[in-house]
Amino acid sequence: MISSLSPQLLIKPNTATTLSPIPHVQNQRFKLASHVCPSELLSIRKRPGSACAATTQHRRYLLFPAEEEEEEEREVKFTSDAPALAEGLQREPMPRHVAVIMDGNRRWAHLRGLPVRSGYEAGVKSLKTLVELCCKWGIRVLTVFAFSSDNWFRPEVEVEFLMSLLETGVKEETESFIRERIRISVIGDTSKLPKCLEELVINVVETTKNNTRFQLIVAVSYSGQYDLVQACQRIAMKVKDGLIEPNDVSESLIEQELETNCTEFPYPDLLIRTSGELRISNFMLWQLAYTELFFSQSLWPDFGEAEFLEALKSFQQRCRHYGK
Amino acid sequence: MDFRDTMQKVYSWACQIGNLGLWIIWLLIHFAVDLWYFALHIACAIESYLISSGILKRYKALDIDKLRYLAIVIESEEAYHIPAVIQLLQWLVDIGVKHVCLYDAEGILKKSKESILGKLNNATLFEEAGESNLLLDHKHITLEFASFPDGKEAVAKAANLLFMKYVKLGGSGKIQEEKIFTEAHMSEALRAVGCKGPEPDLLFVYGPVRCHLGFPAWRIRYTEIVHMGRLKSMRYGSLLKAIYKFTMVRQNYGS
Repeated sequence: MISSLSPQLLIKPNTATTLSPIPHVQNQRFKLASHVCPSELLSIRKRPGSACAATTQHRRYLLFPAEEEEEEEREVKFTSDAPALAEGLQREPMPRHVAVIMDGNRRWAHLRGLPVRSGYEAGVKSLKTLVELCCKWGIRVLTVFAFSSDNWFRPEVEVEFLMSLLETGVKEETESFIRERIRISVIGDTSKLPKCLEELVINVVETTKNNTRFQLIVAVSYSGQYDLVQACQRIAMKVKDGLIEPNDVSESLIEQELETNCTEFPYPDLLIRTSGELRISNFMLWQLAYTELFFSQSLWPDFGEAEFLEALKSFQQRCRHYGK
Repeated sequence: MDFRDTMQKVYSWACQIGNLGLWIIWLLIHFAVDLWYFALHIACAIESYLISSGILKRYKALDIDKLRYLAIVIESEEAYHIPAVIQLLQWLVDIGVKHVCLYDAEGILKKSKESILGKLNNATLFEEAGESNLLLDHKHITLEFASFPDGKEAVAKAANLLFMKYVKLGGSGKIQEEKIFTEAHMSEALRAVGCKGPEPDLLFVYGPVRCHLGFPAWRIRYTEIVHMGRLKSMRYGSLLKAIYKFTMVRQNYGS
């Protein structure tokens, strides 16, 4: 709680355990207005009395400015009184690729005496907020673990609801993705999805494939082991076709065939898992070797700007050697 | 004009007083947060002492059998501190942990294998342990040593084994690929190339960064990962607490 009162303060170095809670503090959350189109300004209000604000005035935040070599690809504006990043967040190092395991929807609903579907619906709102924040702060790729291959074993009613939620979400947001120039990619065994959803997914991936502003990768029916196995299957087909020799198979070849090769930055810099669980649950096993792991105590529907800031600041304070 | 000047002066003073007030509040908040973290640090140290000395009784009733396999990832620079590694292993033996995989990316611990085994009583290599009754002794421990080549390189080698089998079968069509390249076959191929260790239940990371540094990815699907801080700052109480917390976790494996 204290650490979220003042984002500008440094988070202390790790103690012997990572299990320090980062509880959601409702009265410290920022409200984010819906982003309508790139040329409009995002409006963020901070609640009066917030310890983070030097003033109770409304502030206008803008889209994070592009890196020099990519400026021509983004539309950006500045106003004289608006910082590009949130307070306490440094420009460097910023993760280019953030992965999130969106855990805790059912527990969130259970704690409130609501049906499970309410938890998932609330989770969708958190995802929208996170996408907006990533766009604003210059994070290029966001991968979210929406549905794992293990989740097929959940009650049928729940699985059907999740599939319909995915379908509704894709349908409702496709125009927004096109307008915001967000590229959508889907990884996982999509052959197991309902036919209509599978077609919808193919359509949205195809429609948005040339968008370059931001990439949202949704892992559906995904497992890290499956990712590796399907990479080997693809390589096997190339071996069969005589394109490569069996002895030429190497780590780099396997990496090229992983499903996360759909992005310029296939290796997440930061993985966030919500709800306090301390595992990666068969998510991007190969890709996470040097990814910073951040385990948040917040349940996914409660994960908002303050919690994301916490994760990013924690990332910025760590020393990354990539094993060297 | 005079009125306007006066109002401007009043406004300016008000702004300065306001800014000063906010600055003081800011300093107070900084101080409060520093005090909080200092208190937290002291509390952790006291808690660790209480756990180590056995005063906190709940840590005595540790169901260590829930921890079937423990992995310890040590950042390579810290892996040179072999005495600290041996101390850590000794604590784990005292707690009753039976199987440990020691990993560092550069293989420093592998190179110090003999030294580590020599300093510990009743420690054997995981590969040699087999089905010996020694494993049932409370104070016996098996050690597996792993490094970066046991991760991605091993998967590539295992994939090569499967590719050779695929080529020999002369398969055609997607069905053949799907029959040969399965998760079960990959696990089997990994064992064939020497990666026989099971999936750890719990993985401790010692070092400045919170990542598993390339620990064999195939094996950590459902592994609980806990960052323990620097090896030189390790405490018995913190170790016991982390293991205790693991034994209280209930996994639903996605279902």
